[in-house]
Amino acid sequence: MLRFLVRRLLGAVITLVIISAVTFMLFYAVPRDPARLACGKVCTPETLEVIRHNMGISDPMPVQYWHWLSAIFVGRDYAGFGHCDAPCLGYSFVNREPVLATILDRFPTTASLALGSSVVFLLFGIGAGMLAAVKQGKMLDKFASSASLVASSMQIYFVGPVALYLLVYQSHILSQPSYTPFTDNPGAWFTGLLVPWLVLALIWTANYTRMTRSQLVETLSEDYVRTARAKGMSRRNVFFRFAWRGAMGPIVTIFGIDMGVLLGGAMITEKTFSLQGLGMLAVKSVFTNDLPMLLGVMVITASFVVLANIVVDAVYAMIDPRIRLA
Amino acid sequence: MSFSRRNFLIATGVAAASGSVLTACSSGNTSSAGKAGQQEAAKAHASTVKIGTAEDSKGPAPEVSGAKKGGTVYLLNDDDFSHLDPQRVYYAWNSLAVVVLSRTLTGYKIGDDGAMTLVGDLATDTGTMKDGGKTWTFTLKDGIKWEDGSDVTVDDVRHGFERAFASFITEGAVYAQTWLTGSQEYRKSYSGPFKGKHLKSIETSGKSITFHLSEARPDFNYVVAMQSYAPTPVKHDKKQDYDKKPFSNGPYKIKSHVTDKSMVLVRNEHWDAATDPIRNAYPDEFDFTFGIEAQTAADRLIADSGKDQYAVSWRTVPQDRVQQATVKAKDRLFEDLSSGSSVYWINQTRVTDIKVREAIIRAWPTAGIRQLQGGTHRGDYATGIMSPLVAGYESQDVWGKLKNPSGDPAAAKAVLKKAGKLGTKVVYAYMNDPVNAKVKVVIENALKAAGFDVVSKGIDSTTWYDQIGKLDNGYDIYWGGWSADWPTGYSVFQPLFDSHNVVDQGTNYCHLKNPDVDAAIKAATAEPDQTKANAMWAALDKQVTELGAFIPDVYMKRLYIHGSKLGNVKMDPNFDGCMLYKMFVK
Repeated sequence: MLRFLVRRLLGAVITLVIISAVTFMLFYAVPRDPARLACGKVCTPETLEVIRHNMGISDPMPVQYWHWLSAIFVGRDYAGFGHCDAPCLGYSFVNREPVLATILDRFPTTASLALGSSVVFLLFGIGAGMLAAVKQGKMLDKFASSASLVASSMQIYFVGPVALYLLVYQSHILSQPSYTPFTDNPGAWFTGLLVPWLVLALIWTANYTRMTRSQLVETLSEDYVRTARAKGMSRRNVFFRFAWRGAMGPIVTIFGIDMGVLLGGAMITEKTFSLQGLGMLAVKSVFTNDLPMLLGVMVITASFVVLANIVVDAVYAMIDPRIRLA
Repeated sequence: MSFSRRNFLIATGVAAASGSVLTACSSGNTSSAGKAGQQEAAKAHASTVKIGTAEDSKGPAPEVSGAKKGGTVYLLNDDDFSHLDPQRVYYAWNSLAVVVLSRTLTGYKIGDDGAMTLVGDLATDTGTMKDGGKTWTFTLKDGIKWEDGSDVTVDDVRHGFERAFASFITEGAVYAQTWLTGSQEYRKSYSGPFKGKHLKSIETSGKSITFHLSEARPDFNYVVAMQSYAPTPVKHDKKQDYDKKPFSNGPYKIKSHVTDKSMVLVRNEHWDAATDPIRNAYPDEFDFTFGIEAQTAADRLIADSGKDQYAVSWRTVPQDRVQQATVKAKDRLFEDLSSGSSVYWINQTRVTDIKVREAIIRAWPTAGIRQLQGGTHRGDYATGIMSPLVAGYESQDVWGKLKNPSGDPAAAKAVLKKAGKLGTKVVYAYMNDPVNAKVKVVIENALKAAGFDVVSKGIDSTTWYDQIGKLDNGYDIYWGGWSADWPTGYSVFQPLFDSHNVVDQGTNYCHLKNPDVDAAIKAATAEPDQTKANAMWAALDKQVTELGAFIPDVYMKRLYIHGSKLGNVKMDPNFDGCMLYKMFVK
């Protein structure tokens, strides 16, 4: 298991280096002047010169990238702006602060949104999928399948405003979406994120319902399940010890990828509910041409996807022992 | 001289106001088009800008009836402030917040009816003028403190003016810099205070500061009310980094500011209400949240639940929410004239015949245009370019626009025929957006009915000012908006009609080159008696209107909404948003 993890972690580091290098090249090798873009709308010649110096524009591209990469481990001085402590993911000349500080400020919102909604959609999605599989062909199965089809075809930018209108503006049943740090006020954290969780979960639940149902139906029809039942094992035991465990593998894989994406920032969800997470930060950075910030957000997002995949592989290996040898 | 970039803000205002179109039409506001009642409001504001006395400059500000101290007000805004460093503040959007953080030598005391009185804010009065306006002296009040309890000194005031010359200050007003050095390239004369040099044209003595200007500026006491000329503490000046969290000498200070996310203002315990004739400062705290779109903010404020009952937005109610807001939140809407005027410029270098210009103006379908752009919410019919919020404003109606805002193509055709110009080709430029595409049709129909051959050309709104600002722009008629930097005629007429500004990307958009107008601008600028000067600006308003330099459109309005638990939420006539320092939590 340890060898497996070490191998995967090494692979992840290489993947991230490649992603960051490609992103860096894309941003900084374009014909437009990256220093001018980073300088913001109102840019004096003096400030531009300082940014040019800080970005090392005159250096060859690999050297520029090396400066950016090494700053993650040793930090970097940005003359005229300040020092960026390690781990330094760059400096936003637009906001006049280290990129990582802004990302860390926004991350709890995104993480809360991702974790809360995933709890809801896993509970309801897997639960509904299990019921549909057990009651295959019955009314409950048909209802769950139809409902999941409808829900999965919906979009946040439609369901979000409708939910806000019905649950918040009209009936005042739920609170206006907002983010309060959990450590400040757990109650406000929960009530403020409930509507985004439910809306996000509504759409994602459908996928998990359909996936769980199809996996379970397939597993339940396997020979080894029939054999177990023929040998006298109870229906409940067969379901949970054999069928459920077998079906969960692919679902865990998909969940890992989904979680990585969610932690990278659900842009439309955050925009719909005016939550200042990584998604909104990325959008804002595009509009303000804040390349260092955008690069930082992209690297962090990629890291989440890569890390989530490692976790998934590990969990998958625990669920299915055959994977460890692969 | 670089002038009012606030005109870009006006352009934004048009987008917001034009958004009201559909709802306003369907809500039946059309019926009031052209009613005299709408013009009463414009008249009511006239001549309500005056210069106060030393007594007027004494604090505290008059109490607001029924107001009480305490509570938190929530601001739901889409964007963070572009600048908070007072020297970098120019847009009204920033001024709305900075006015409670950075006090200026003079400021405006706003009455319950919106009337403005220029009073001493940091200074004991509105200043003493000598040499016809070339020398100005202000004396600081006692008891004015920074947020750390230290005194605001004349050195800090001088530092504010001097750092405006620094190379990193590229966004603030530039009027005083030009007059203090006698050069439009003022940075060549002085590069700022950071190398230990002071401006020779500013003298300090005890609590007094004297400005020696290169030209007579009898309205200099208005100019120093701009936040660009607020003091900055010498020992706390962090140059570029000062922008994010400036030091306060106003009733509130910045507790926290996370760029693009949030800002919290709390009481500055060192602010003494007894020194401040302008600000009441009732709430204990202001919580700003950024990243909330105008539609979302309007929905939340209409719903009026939870904390949103204590909230307000600085964005106008968007088009598709006006009807809902007027039905569900009628008591919580506030609408007033903004500082902007809307006109359609007539290019004087292309349309040289006054009779042709007259025909265009007489045919112009102002009522039809206003109808498409939001009806009465768009604004009151204008008679000139000088806003009713500018001192000395007089309604004149040279072209009979109040009597017949719909235009008279038949009368216009008669004028054109008499001049032998039937079939004259006119090129109309318009912003390429859905509302202006409809407006274009109304204008084309009116001009065609008057005997013109009309060619319309669409321009992308993002390059609007670049395109029409070209000296050889190729257009005969195009829209423009303008807002004065301070409420006297100078910052309207000098930039817009002085022939020196007929240059590429200049602000004389209509290319008017008229020696009489130039002379009138010069005379009104130099007039030391402000009452006389105001009358001269009003006369100039009539003069440029008669010359057919533009087609008067509307004095623009803005519509806002607030939560039910807020009281005395009123619009700042200078900055086109609600005044933080006069509202209270019920």
